[in-house]
Amino acid sequence: MKSTTVKSNWFSSLFSGFRPTPRFVRAVDLAGQWAAPIMILIVLLVAAIFAPAFYNPTNLRTVAIQFAVLGIVAVGQTLVLLVRSIDLSVSAVLALGAVIVVQTEAGNSLIVSLIQAFAIAAAIGLVIGLLVTKRGVPPFVATFGMLVFIQGARLAYSKGQASGTVPDLLRTISIEQVGFIPAALIVWLIVNLIVMFVLRKTRFGRWIYSVGGNPFASRYAGIRVDMVMIAAHTICSVLAILGGLILSGYIGYVDLRLGADYNMLSIAAAIVGGTTFTGGRGNLFGTAAGVTLLVMLLNLVVVLGLSIHWQFAMQGLVLVLATALQGFRQFLLSR
Amino acid sequence: MAVTYEDASAQVAPRSSRLIAFIRKNASIFLIYGIIILIAGGAAIFSESFRTPSNMANILRQSIILGLLAIGQSIVILTGGMDISIDMMARTVALTIATLFAFYNSDPSLILPLILLGIVIGVILGGINGLLITRTHATPFIITFGVAFILRGVNLAISTTPIRGIPKEFLLIYNTKIGIIAVNVIVMALVWFLVWLFTTRTRLGRGLYAVGGSPRIARLSAIRVNRTLVWAYVLSGFFASLAGLFVLSRMGVGDPGTAEGMTFQSIVAVAVGGISLYGGRGSIIGTLGGVLLLTILSNVFNLIQVNIYYQQLLLGLVVLIAVAAYRTPRTVRSG
Repeated sequence: MKSTTVKSNWFSSLFSGFRPTPRFVRAVDLAGQWAAPIMILIVLLVAAIFAPAFYNPTNLRTVAIQFAVLGIVAVGQTLVLLVRSIDLSVSAVLALGAVIVVQTEAGNSLIVSLIQAFAIAAAIGLVIGLLVTKRGVPPFVATFGMLVFIQGARLAYSKGQASGTVPDLLRTISIEQVGFIPAALIVWLIVNLIVMFVLRKTRFGRWIYSVGGNPFASRYAGIRVDMVMIAAHTICSVLAILGGLILSGYIGYVDLRLGADYNMLSIAAAIVGGTTFTGGRGNLFGTAAGVTLLVMLLNLVVVLGLSIHWQFAMQGLVLVLATALQGFRQFLLSR
Repeated sequence: MAVTYEDASAQVAPRSSRLIAFIRKNASIFLIYGIIILIAGGAAIFSESFRTPSNMANILRQSIILGLLAIGQSIVILTGGMDISIDMMARTVALTIATLFAFYNSDPSLILPLILLGIVIGVILGGINGLLITRTHATPFIITFGVAFILRGVNLAISTTPIRGIPKEFLLIYNTKIGIIAVNVIVMALVWFLVWLFTTRTRLGRGLYAVGGSPRIARLSAIRVNRTLVWAYVLSGFFASLAGLFVLSRMGVGDPGTAEGMTFQSIVAVAVGGISLYGGRGSIIGTLGGVLLLTILSNVFNLIQVNIYYQQLLLGLVVLIAVAAYRTPRTVRSG
């Protein structure tokens, strides 16, 4: 990055010609890792000052359920990001699961429709994984194509109508509480603990970090890179459908807009939490912190009484800032 | 590497093998135009209304919006990036200009200044994208994705209902015709030609290919990589603003749904046209083919009255097939 040109304006000389000190690199690295927790504290303070209604128990419960849904989806997204891929189809998969369960519930038993939904999710993840690994399609193109296809399929299947009632079991999971903890949060906790265990203690978990860190070296080390990536995509799609089921149970009906923002939110949560796009860096604690931050911010927009449109702008702003920070951090660490 | 060496070898080769080499080198372009001729020919045989001259002229006019966006997208994708925010940039320009027209009681004398203002807005937004990407070394795809969300929020804040008050004279941009051919189609043909000249004959245009092929080698070849990248995003914003103004002229109101879903269509048009999504390969002529193909497809869908829900499904299917048929050059990519 050393600029050899003599003429350069003040702005580019601020960045492109500079040699960062080790202390600066370390500061950026720490900022990248701790951005989400620090921001959470700031947001909590701001909420305490400007919007005490945020701490209302009913509001906190809403936040908790939103947190559970986004948390589950973001776990899958983090896995995919860790292997240097990305999944833009989670929002469609999430909504698809809800549609399948609600529509088949009329005729079949709930178990059958649940199995159906999860099988379809696994198949979608498998296809994405195969496209990315065997065909060499850029992940965002493959998953974006999948997104359009699934949305089209869902439209053709449901004829664009908002559909039926959600099964009681799902409503129970989403709305009931165990003690004072919503059941949805417990589902999130179980998922998170399992994936965390897999990532930290098992061979597969080490493979994921290894593949993300350096796919070529991993291949030479005897890791079946393609298999690991396909598995990560499959898990991500299955988790997306799980999130969709809980979300539909909470909302109580299924419409076309269901879960449309979850691509954006899950990616933003993972990135804010310290996962980088270049793979191999990041963990689920960070993702959980990112999810907390995003859900709190989304909720604050409502509690503060701002126009709901600003939720979009807020999400975008968080994503841009987080991406910029992580990109810069990755750049500094890898030079 | 994207820089072509074919001239030197072509001059020594005999004429017949030169032709074969030419066809092989441009296989994707021949393929796309072959498919267009097949589909258009089939539609012309089977559909009475497709083969009318006015429908043909209409297809050309309909292709302009997608064409403008796809030109910007091509320029960015040639550098190895991607611009997700083009539809929202177009919408921001359209809504801002519409609001200003409404504010000044649709004063016709303001048309020229406001067109210029719209272009300036697009260029500034593109410049912001470019600076964010080059200064923080973040992934272009995600940065523009975030910017798109920010702009979506801003657009919703500007207006959620159609804005009236566009002066009649402004609509002439869309409506003026010579015979059955609209003037804007002729202008658009000129634009395509100029862009082709730009990408093949100018230093900056060739720089796009070089940066997309390998930023490192481009830098070693004394190409200003960051400056080239910023220019690419500025041009993308420029063409997005033109598309926004064109939509405004076509609709006659500031439509809050301007260019919905056009980002993905533009990426499909570029990918189908043979520009490598990893950057550095392909031609703007292929993009023109992709744009025409998508426009003809949607026209044919409407003429044979495919149900709108199945249209989505078919579009998704086309995209998935295009994605699956996608081939990546098996080269090691180095930053």
